[in-house]
Amino acid sequence: MSNKVYGLLAKFDTPAAIMKAAEKVRDAGYKKWDVITPFPIHGMDGAMGLRRSRVPRFTLVAGSAGFTIGMLMIAYMNKWDYPLIVGGKPFFSPMFAFPVSYELTILLSAFGTIIGMFLLNCLPMHYHPVLKYDDIHEGTDDQFFLVIETTDPEFNATETNKLLAEVGSLEIRELEE
Amino acid sequence: MSDLSTKPSISGAESTPIGKPTMALAIGAIALLITGVGFILNPHKVASSWLLAASYTTAIAIGMLFMVMLHHIFDAGWSTVIRRTLEHCLAVFPWLALFFLPLILLSWIYEPALVWKWMDPNYDLASIGGHGTVGEDILYVKKSPLLNFPTFVIIYLIVFLSWIWLSSRFRKASFSQDGDGSAAHTMTCRNTAAAGIPLAALTATLAACVWIKSLDYHWFSTMYGVWFFSGAMRAALAMTVLVCLYLAKQGALKGLFLRSHMLQLGNIMLAFTVFWAYISFSQYFLIWNANIPEETFWYVLREHGNWRYVGYTLIFAHFFFPFFFFLGHRNKILPGRMIFICIWILLTQLLDFYYNILPYKKDGGGDPLEFGISFWDVTALVGIIGICAWAFIKSFNKTRPIPIRDPRILESLNYHE
Repeated sequence: MSNKVYGLLAKFDTPAAIMKAAEKVRDAGYKKWDVITPFPIHGMDGAMGLRRSRVPRFTLVAGSAGFTIGMLMIAYMNKWDYPLIVGGKPFFSPMFAFPVSYELTILLSAFGTIIGMFLLNCLPMHYHPVLKYDDIHEGTDDQFFLVIETTDPEFNATETNKLLAEVGSLEIRELEE
Repeated sequence: MSDLSTKPSISGAESTPIGKPTMALAIGAIALLITGVGFILNPHKVASSWLLAASYTTAIAIGMLFMVMLHHIFDAGWSTVIRRTLEHCLAVFPWLALFFLPLILLSWIYEPALVWKWMDPNYDLASIGGHGTVGEDILYVKKSPLLNFPTFVIIYLIVFLSWIWLSSRFRKASFSQDGDGSAAHTMTCRNTAAAGIPLAALTATLAACVWIKSLDYHWFSTMYGVWFFSGAMRAALAMTVLVCLYLAKQGALKGLFLRSHMLQLGNIMLAFTVFWAYISFSQYFLIWNANIPEETFWYVLREHGNWRYVGYTLIFAHFFFPFFFFLGHRNKILPGRMIFICIWILLTQLLDFYYNILPYKKDGGGDPLEFGISFWDVTALVGIIGICAWAFIKSFNKTRPIPIRDPRILESLNYHE
């Protein structure tokens, strides 16, 4: 068992308390920290200073790729690999390639969204240091936790401890890696 | 909260007037007078402008009727704040019914083939590049059970009575709820919406087919009603955002119409941008694929002269640009950007109506007259929209700006994206 410290965990018992604490931690300039709450709290993203998710970028790239692949695939097959006249139509036209490209856009957008979500959330994640804290299950019931990681550039054992005490936490614990 | 517990003495006792409606009435009346002079000077030219303006405005109103019904049928919470504004917009239906009368009366008294050639069985098709008369045209004969003057009048009565009946039911129930706060009104609206959606779908399809599609009565398209619906929804959503933003700035909806409401409207606009493209493309694609002269001629006409560029403009300006615009999250929450795209969509949707309506006017060789925006298009639009704005303001001044005792009003006021 290593004694390396993962971070500091602070406990709160109301949504309002953790919301205020999150605002203070955000204003103190911390970047690598998170809150654990039993339910989504409206406005928490603002209180934590979170930016919008970057998942849509994956969706856009994957969707555009799907459309391009659809068009190129049909152009390759119908115009070059196996040219065949069907219904007096040209070998390639974006008209009949469109429905397939459209479907591929949707398919790859969905894949891109799921993959992007997994990548950005570092999923699958089978272990997390907070799980070593015995009472963490309260975070799925009626308690609220705030965790600041030691890898945060602003982290300082005494200062961070002081900050968490100031924002009104009921309990502060060191988490092992 | 004290406002909720004190009962107003009569329904809609309190209201937030948004100015005098006389200004809109004056502008509308002057524009209508000028258009009226135009009817005397050049009835053929002005009749097409009038059909364009009247059907475009009606499409916006139908879109709003559908939005109210969708709100009720899904028991939606977030859109309750917006719904009252839509209900006031529905006050325009009786006026729209009146605006269609000149076309019917002129076709009846003055000249049957003024707009719809099929109204005159003796119309000489040689004058527009065909041969024989309408009455000898086999495609007309086969469609004559639907395309004849008495049926046209009956359809006019059915569609407008349906829309006026539906809209007055929603308005009455919602305004009564301000007074007694009874949830029974919400149930009335939900039941009306359940019956009203198929009714409005059928009547809007009938209207689109006899007013617009039958201008080229040879044509076949099973997508036409849906095309009309998709365009109507796009224009209605754009108009709704503009009206709500105006009311939020002016004061009636200040602090009530929130960023989160606008974001949701923006998301629906993105959905209907794709839906419009899907419908318009499918219509073109099926006709392109089948390659039957009875169907392809409609698009061939629209590839003649500068109509070709109107078509390209629709693809890029009415689909691709709004599509990529609405993908941006910030574009849907910044009022300035939403105002820009809403005006953009209202204009490109109008262009889509030009594209669908005006090529019916042909020269002696059967080619459509070039695309152009005439003075009479502008006066007819300003006149009809002016009168509609007057009806809206008059209705708005009578009641509260939001349905204050709707069961879901708090949910809507606290709506969070």
